[in-house]
Amino acid sequence: MRKISAISLCLVLLASLLAACGGGSNKGEQASAPTNSSTPSSSGDASETPKTAEPVTISIYYPNPDQTELRAIEDAKIKRFEEKYPHVTIEKSDWHYNVNEIGIKMAANEAPTFFNTWATEAKFLVEKGWAADITELWNNYEFKDQINPILQNQFIIDGKVYGVAQKGYVTTTVVNKKMLDEKGAAVPSYDWTWDDMVNTAKAVADPGKGIAGIAPMGKGNESGWNWTNFLFQAGGDIQKVEGGKVSAAFNSDAGVKALEFYKKLRWDANVIPQDWALGWGDAVGAFAQGRTAMVIAGAEGPLDQALNQGGLKPEEVLVYPMPAAEKGGKHTGVLGGDYLVINPNATPAEQEAAFNYITFDYFSEDGLKSLEDNIKKFKDEGKFYVPPHMDYFNADSDYGKKVQDILAKYDNVYRYNAESNALLDGKPEAQYNTQDYYGAMTNVIQEIFSKKDTDVKAKLDAAAKTVQEQFFNAIKVQ
Amino acid sequence: MSQPVHASAELAPAARRIAAAAFVRKYFWGILFLLPAVIVFLLFLWMPIVKGFIYSFYHVDFVKGNEFVGWDNYRAVLDNPDVGIAVKNTLYYMFLGLVIGFWVPILFAILISELRRFQGFVRVIAYLPNVLPVIVLYGLWRWFYDPVGPVNAGLTQLGQDQILFMSDPKWSMVSIVIMETWQQFGAGMLIYLAAILSIPRDWYEAAEIDGAGIWQRIRHVTLPSIRGLIGLLFILQLIATSQGLQAQLAMLDGGPNKATLTYALLIVKSAFNQLNYGVAAAMGVLMFLVLGALAVIQYRLSERGERA
Repeated sequence: MRKISAISLCLVLLASLLAACGGGSNKGEQASAPTNSSTPSSSGDASETPKTAEPVTISIYYPNPDQTELRAIEDAKIKRFEEKYPHVTIEKSDWHYNVNEIGIKMAANEAPTFFNTWATEAKFLVEKGWAADITELWNNYEFKDQINPILQNQFIIDGKVYGVAQKGYVTTTVVNKKMLDEKGAAVPSYDWTWDDMVNTAKAVADPGKGIAGIAPMGKGNESGWNWTNFLFQAGGDIQKVEGGKVSAAFNSDAGVKALEFYKKLRWDANVIPQDWALGWGDAVGAFAQGRTAMVIAGAEGPLDQALNQGGLKPEEVLVYPMPAAEKGGKHTGVLGGDYLVINPNATPAEQEAAFNYITFDYFSEDGLKSLEDNIKKFKDEGKFYVPPHMDYFNADSDYGKKVQDILAKYDNVYRYNAESNALLDGKPEAQYNTQDYYGAMTNVIQEIFSKKDTDVKAKLDAAAKTVQEQFFNAIKVQ
Repeated sequence: MSQPVHASAELAPAARRIAAAAFVRKYFWGILFLLPAVIVFLLFLWMPIVKGFIYSFYHVDFVKGNEFVGWDNYRAVLDNPDVGIAVKNTLYYMFLGLVIGFWVPILFAILISELRRFQGFVRVIAYLPNVLPVIVLYGLWRWFYDPVGPVNAGLTQLGQDQILFMSDPKWSMVSIVIMETWQQFGAGMLIYLAAILSIPRDWYEAAEIDGAGIWQRIRHVTLPSIRGLIGLLFILQLIATSQGLQAQLAMLDGGPNKATLTYALLIVKSAFNQLNYGVAAAMGVLMFLVLGALAVIQYRLSERGERA
């Protein structure tokens, strides 16, 4: 009897092992089954419920377990969606886009039917074949002309659409006004310059107590991303695309000027954290804890942490445009955004269902109600709601005005300053190998922060050579 | 002369078949029980190793298909200036691990073995950091190393300058090794302690009768008795530290200025940041060869230890 049990156990183990190893192919077969049968639904009106359609299962981008409010909103959306599209079954996937994981996810066919990504990734995902061409679905979408074109254009490449804009931002400097007031430091005007930034930081910094004036990120690719704002303000570019070739352009005079500014912050003014090896989370966390008066990022994240975890009041946190290099200059910041991309491995029917899900609440009354419920929920919990700095719709559209009306009704909503917003000048990131460029610049920035007498021009030239030889030379511009 | 040879040659396959069938009959259940473990071993240990060798000769693209590139990946590894930096950093990390960390568990094991009271309690206290989740550990030590954290506060009180443990390239690797030593010495200590406690007591008593003091007892009885174990753990530590990447990645992402960029971390970055799996596989193969040599030394050492 014991032998039989042991054998059964062995066989079960063996079977489960083989099942685990062979799961991928089954999935592929199941996934491809509904292709033909469900095609008719794509020819009909997308808003009509295709009652005769074959069942389709899609896995969706779902908020993290700690985002309970967002999960509740998503659950309500799933319920409404499944009522309208009963043939679609929704599976939740809490995998969130990660540059280091997307390759594995796509190779293993484990990526959800649609997933989130950022503006930097458009060209990369398209070149790798990891973003579905949704031009046809897009052309049939009734609200396509009301989507914010500044954001949406990042995912329209060579006339083809590869993603749907969710929200966006122009990189800003978020300032802890409370710290400035406590130190008796003057609050600069929104039309500020690099010199104003240094002076403000100097007025607040207290290195002996571990208080920094500003925390430029110094760890990971975000370090290069932070610095690129200053490169843009100085009039520089990351790369040039000419004659079918991509060449590094950041080792220009503007690049030198922007690095000299970093050198000034670190060595002359001594206003950055002594422990400057901070990634996005570290720097934003330091801002929320009052260990730095300024942080450079899209405004939403630092605001949310400062208000909902750092205990600051909305009037104590100001969102500034990035400073101009000189008086009268542009307040250029990197334009970024969140997008949803459909998995090219999905069948046409799944892609259509995913597109319908992504745009389900866009421009709808349900979307407005969901927003209001969300704000109320935040209020009940004593939290502040931080709206996206740039939304998927045009702010001055009819829908945009309705949203503004809702935001205006509640006192727990953070309000961006109109004067500051008017000065924002968003510039898209480079098209090719942006993350590789950021990585190379991170090394240069760390060198500047750790060695006082670093030859800025030599370091920039070396980084440009590396990026050119390792990445840009291999690019063939179509 | 030729006939018997022919006959035995014809008989041999048949005899082998019979022997094989007898072997299977005799060990059928044993083989069946072994099968899951063998499959797991082949699938998850040897298949990745073999695939790693194969991928090292390919440009790997999981979507568009792989392309054979010969020795190109190995050339790319040797041409990459970061590889030299990473090898140097890894050797430095291994060296620091020995200088700062290797002797700590031996010392603690000897000290604890000499304790007459509270031995169990001290053993638990010393092992406790080992069970700390690494995320907590990194957060804790980032605070210890903070410019206004307890270590720097102490230094400032003593009139010394602050040390930038994380952002000063001279200190960053040292700081990581100190942190890891603090966390991991407990495990090594337990192994040494077990060996020390198994040394016959009468050896110590004999040494004491001969007039040996505590230092002489340690020098002439304890240390020679655990010499084989010290050699084994020395090799194991070299193998483990040569693959170090976790703390370097989590705390400093290989910075500042590549000061904590180890070879294993460079493999991870090549594979997952640059999606250059072929080059990463080639780096892995080179590392496999070096570690394989170390493993052979370790095997020989443990064999010698067993014979002794």
